[in-house]
Amino acid sequence: MSEGQGTGAGPKLPREINTNVAHPARVYDYWLGGKDNFPADRALAEHIMEAIPTMRAMAAANRAFLTRAVRYLAGEAGIRQFLDIGTGIPTSPNVHEVAQATAPDTRVVYVDNDPIVLAHARALLTSQEAGETAFILADLREPKSIVDHPTLAATLDLDQPVAVMLVAVLMYFEDHDSPNPFEMVTTLLEPMPSGSYVAISHPTADFNAEAMGGAVAAARQSGVTLVARGQAEVEGFFTDLELVDPGVTPVLSWRPDEPPRDPRSAYYWAGVARKP
Amino acid sequence: MIESRAQGGGAPTVQRMLVGARLRRLRTEMGLTREEAAEAIRASEWKIHRLENGQVGFKERDIVDLLRLYEVTDPEEVAEFLALAREANTPGWWQHYGDVLPAWFRTYVDLEAAATLIRTYEGQFVPGLLQTDDYMRAVVHGAHLEDTSDEVGRRVRLRMARQTVLTREQPPRLWAVVDEAALRRPVGGKEVMRGQLERLVEATKLPNVILQVLPFGSGAHPAMVGSFSILRFPDQELPDVVYLEHLTSAIYLNKPDEVDQYLHVMEGICVRAAAPDRTVELLDEILEEL
Repeated sequence: MSEGQGTGAGPKLPREINTNVAHPARVYDYWLGGKDNFPADRALAEHIMEAIPTMRAMAAANRAFLTRAVRYLAGEAGIRQFLDIGTGIPTSPNVHEVAQATAPDTRVVYVDNDPIVLAHARALLTSQEAGETAFILADLREPKSIVDHPTLAATLDLDQPVAVMLVAVLMYFEDHDSPNPFEMVTTLLEPMPSGSYVAISHPTADFNAEAMGGAVAAARQSGVTLVARGQAEVEGFFTDLELVDPGVTPVLSWRPDEPPRDPRSAYYWAGVARKP
Repeated sequence: MIESRAQGGGAPTVQRMLVGARLRRLRTEMGLTREEAAEAIRASEWKIHRLENGQVGFKERDIVDLLRLYEVTDPEEVAEFLALAREANTPGWWQHYGDVLPAWFRTYVDLEAAATLIRTYEGQFVPGLLQTDDYMRAVVHGAHLEDTSDEVGRRVRLRMARQTVLTREQPPRLWAVVDEAALRRPVGGKEVMRGQLERLVEATKLPNVILQVLPFGSGAHPAMVGSFSILRFPDQELPDVVYLEHLTSAIYLNKPDEVDQYLHVMEGICVRAAAPDRTVELLDEILEEL
């Protein structure tokens, strides 16, 4: 197990934590039934739930996609290395637990920009003996700081395929940001060899424009950028990549364990693609 | 007489959780299932579940019937239990146990046994769950000079029994941060301290124990105010409980804003402390310099 910091020179995590401002990781923790959240996080989570009363179930559906995608990647796709960006507060089953259940020698690098998440991750996300877990404190706003990070190089063999997990994280960036989220995906995949994968889930207004509009407005009021994207835009993240079946689908419909009753009841698009 | 209802599905008070946790312990010690206990009070398994989680008020008749089933017959003990249950039905966000040690300490042990995650910060001592017999003896002896060695032995046994929680089936996770000062103070002398530090190295090998050292180098930090623990329970509705131990008493807090403040402090300490994978290296250093 190792850790590192993506931005700045020091090997240590930042000393100051800020719980007065909502952080997406802790907002999701609240929706997922966790207790590692603070008033600002709960206020935003509740505010969004006023617009989307089923938000807890949707967050669980998004998390279940992460599990299914990792199971597919570790199983059928034979992937042994994962780069999980926007890890969030650990919630069982975590990426390395799912992957190592199939392949105990799997290596996972977790990345988050919240020092609290990293403190939890390095304490709780301990690998099986045969594999490895490592942690990087970095911001997706600087994707180069992730791919160039010494901890990543020390943990992952970039001659072998890597699965990059971007589950419910690209929505925090606007199209006019620099780099924009499409460029972020490109930068992350750039050093990865052919046969690598990317898994993405992303909130959308396509299934319920009014509810999602309310959620976006609620987030904005708390100073959190939240961008809903349509199916074509989400498909745009996979440009030049080979989408695996069933393509970009509602998150509930992506290789479900059981066919969902109403696929459009969780407002995310999801997809997994292979780098040719 | 002591019946009360959970107010609006709100958070149960710590006292209710304590009574519930003690009922659960008594039942499991008897090897009874929730279903069997439910039969004794003509209720559902779900009711027992809710009682043991402190999610409903306690009826005196139910408590009396359950205690009989659990073979708690000493009238004084029954009366004490009923008093606790009565108190538990009275809303209150904190409880100050200024009583003799066993009474308040036992309640902590009950809560600790029901917890799935125990986070603790210790500035002065090695955390109780990781102390060796000798270290504990030195600590207990140091704090109670007037005690006979019989009394010290009794207290040490009580505290040692508590450690079995870490090695039981489905043990809770212990996430402890210990100040470097606590690791360098040779409590009980060099040999006792050596044994204690070696024990800590061993403890880091347990899959459910996470130990972080807060080095001197971190300077002033938010927990210099003192040691505390945060207990987390499996059920989503149960709030975390903050536990502060004093010389003659303990304070439990579960009011959301107070828990939030302690959680904030705990997160700050965990962020500042050396990463868990550096702990063995730091312990070895301290051992060498002992």
